[in-house]
Amino acid sequence: MTKFRLTTGIVAAGLALCATSAQAQDLLFWSTQAKPVEETQRMRDDVLSGFDQPVDYQAADEGPWITRIQAETQAGSGSIALLGGLHGDFTSVEGGLVDLDTDLDSANVVPAYAELGKLGGDGQKYVPWMQATYMMAANKQALEFLPEGADLNELTYDQLIQWAGAMAEATGGPKFGLPAGPKGLKHRFFQGYLLPSYTGGVVRTFKSAEAEEAWNKLAELWQFTTPASTNYAFMQEPLLTGEVWVAFDHTARLAEAFNQKPDDFVAFPTPKGPKGRGYMPVIAGMAIPATAPDPEASAALIDYMLSPEAQIATLRATNFFPVVDVDLPDDMPPSVKAAGEVISYTSKSEDSITALLPMGLGDAGGKFNQVYVDMFERTILGGQPIRDALDDQANALDALMKETGAPCWAPDAPSDGPCPVE
Amino acid sequence: MTTTTLTDALPAHRKRGRFAMRAAVVALLLWVLVPLWLLAVNTFSSPDAVNGFPKSLVPEFDLGSLSFFAGFQGVSRALLNSAIVALLTMIMSIGLGAPAGYALSRFDFRGKESFRLLVLMTRAFPLPLLALPLAVMFIRVGLDDSLFGLALVHTTLALPFAVLITFSLFSGIPMELEEAAWTLGCTRIGAFHKVVWPLIRPGIAASAVFAFVISWNEVFAASVLTIQNRTLTAFLLQSLDVSPMPLKFAGGFVLVVPALIFIFLVRKYLFAMWGIANR
Repeated sequence: MTKFRLTTGIVAAGLALCATSAQAQDLLFWSTQAKPVEETQRMRDDVLSGFDQPVDYQAADEGPWITRIQAETQAGSGSIALLGGLHGDFTSVEGGLVDLDTDLDSANVVPAYAELGKLGGDGQKYVPWMQATYMMAANKQALEFLPEGADLNELTYDQLIQWAGAMAEATGGPKFGLPAGPKGLKHRFFQGYLLPSYTGGVVRTFKSAEAEEAWNKLAELWQFTTPASTNYAFMQEPLLTGEVWVAFDHTARLAEAFNQKPDDFVAFPTPKGPKGRGYMPVIAGMAIPATAPDPEASAALIDYMLSPEAQIATLRATNFFPVVDVDLPDDMPPSVKAAGEVISYTSKSEDSITALLPMGLGDAGGKFNQVYVDMFERTILGGQPIRDALDDQANALDALMKETGAPCWAPDAPSDGPCPVE
Repeated sequence: MTTTTLTDALPAHRKRGRFAMRAAVVALLLWVLVPLWLLAVNTFSSPDAVNGFPKSLVPEFDLGSLSFFAGFQGVSRALLNSAIVALLTMIMSIGLGAPAGYALSRFDFRGKESFRLLVLMTRAFPLPLLALPLAVMFIRVGLDDSLFGLALVHTTLALPFAVLITFSLFSGIPMELEEAAWTLGCTRIGAFHKVVWPLIRPGIAASAVFAFVISWNEVFAASVLTIQNRTLTAFLLQSLDVSPMPLKFAGGFVLVVPALIFIFLVRKYLFAMWGIANR
């Protein structure tokens, strides 16, 4: 029976704790970004500690993130002060966001990104917070297998396939890797890189002959891609363990490889196809929910986050680059240097095709990604004929475009009305 | 010593049977212990060793990854929250579930069968579906972001198990035992306390373990319904799957150890249920 008394004691203590835990509220920054524990820690210690009010930075998965915001919107009161998320995250909760009047010009925010934050409407729903992109990383051991005459900065998809083949032959197993796991960003590889490089578009050209060629090339590349790819979320781990020698991924998801073993890896731009080099910038933004307890404090936090010092601190913390004009100091970590060189090379080279994140799809962004993921799973993994699958998925894509009425976005040519699948 | 002579005396097929039994036991033990051992080894190793190859089977007692968690803002608080929610869940689900189980096994009432089925219905709807209306209601009622509110949700999840486990426990105890106690002067409650309770205690412990584990492992409701008062699972699990390998191991270790300690504490009752007393 003493055990019983003990338990009751603990419970009483617990209840007491529940009662007292309504403490003074910090500003709650509810975000889908900087989720890895170390990044969360650095956001708190190195970035947000500089603000004059205490901020509680909480990173959540998209599901709970959206559900929580919807719940607060519906209940009409909430505790979240500031939202952080990717462009696509905000499209799901657009109705719960206030129009922001942040002075983006004097903060020197890149105008094209500011425009994205309007989500296709008039009001500024979110303000750009930070940006990243995708690139390639290679173990230096892989370089000796590069096809003759290939320039790492001007690699083509054909050369990449040859290279992957040569590595597989020399080492006895595939050494190329893609983040094709459930949490990997493979759909961005298709939408932003492979397809624009071959077809110059994403939606309009979905079932063109060029698209068929692109998927065929991917099938060829897949022969020399490690089958463990379907488990990968972040390519930095397999690169560090040596399972994979050459990989494509988000700059932030390759960062640890460069930071832990800066001398072992090289970063280089993504390959080119017949139409050029597809290239996708990733924009994260900040927004204020209509139910924020203290909107003025939230707005002040946004201003702080856009200051050059906070932007540089954010870059160190998360490997996401500033969205405002700043001069980077020299002592940045190796991952930032590597990615910075690749980004400036890509944005300067003339045959880059900028593929923007889907716009105007509302909360159908997930379905849009699914079209491309299904294509990958049906053909590359499932072995179905590419032409049939393309025609099939094109119908799904067309229906989605008509349902949402989303006009074309770059790299597709502008359209009147919903973006057509040609 | 005697075992060997005993085995020698046994006929061949019995020996083979015994061997198969032992092999099965060893395989089961390895099944459970090897992952835990690897988790521990990698937790206590430096990042280089975790990413390196070949892997060592002996930890090098590098506390880097673990001390990261010790310094991670809010971990100790989240650990305490998790324990409180799990305890509340345990007590509420047993407190509500055991009487329901007793009623189901001892009394006949209309709709008994459909009640037994309905109890399971709380598990028929996925939490992501329920979380939104729940969160809206909790915010309006003021239960939002409280450990008690979260424990209520977890109790709902654990209740079917508590009801069904205790139902089969009570059914396993002959009514005659209770009746005998009544004839010797016990009241209904007295008979329950003196006769039934000691017999079902191990089973209650088992369903308490269930409730504890359900609450401990639940992520979605926890991460939507609590913000400042997060449980350890809500706090870590979402971040861990995208964290570097050494931290994944250390985080997994941090999540597993308290649950192991709890099961270790109640093991006496679990063993008793299977007829092995006092280990």
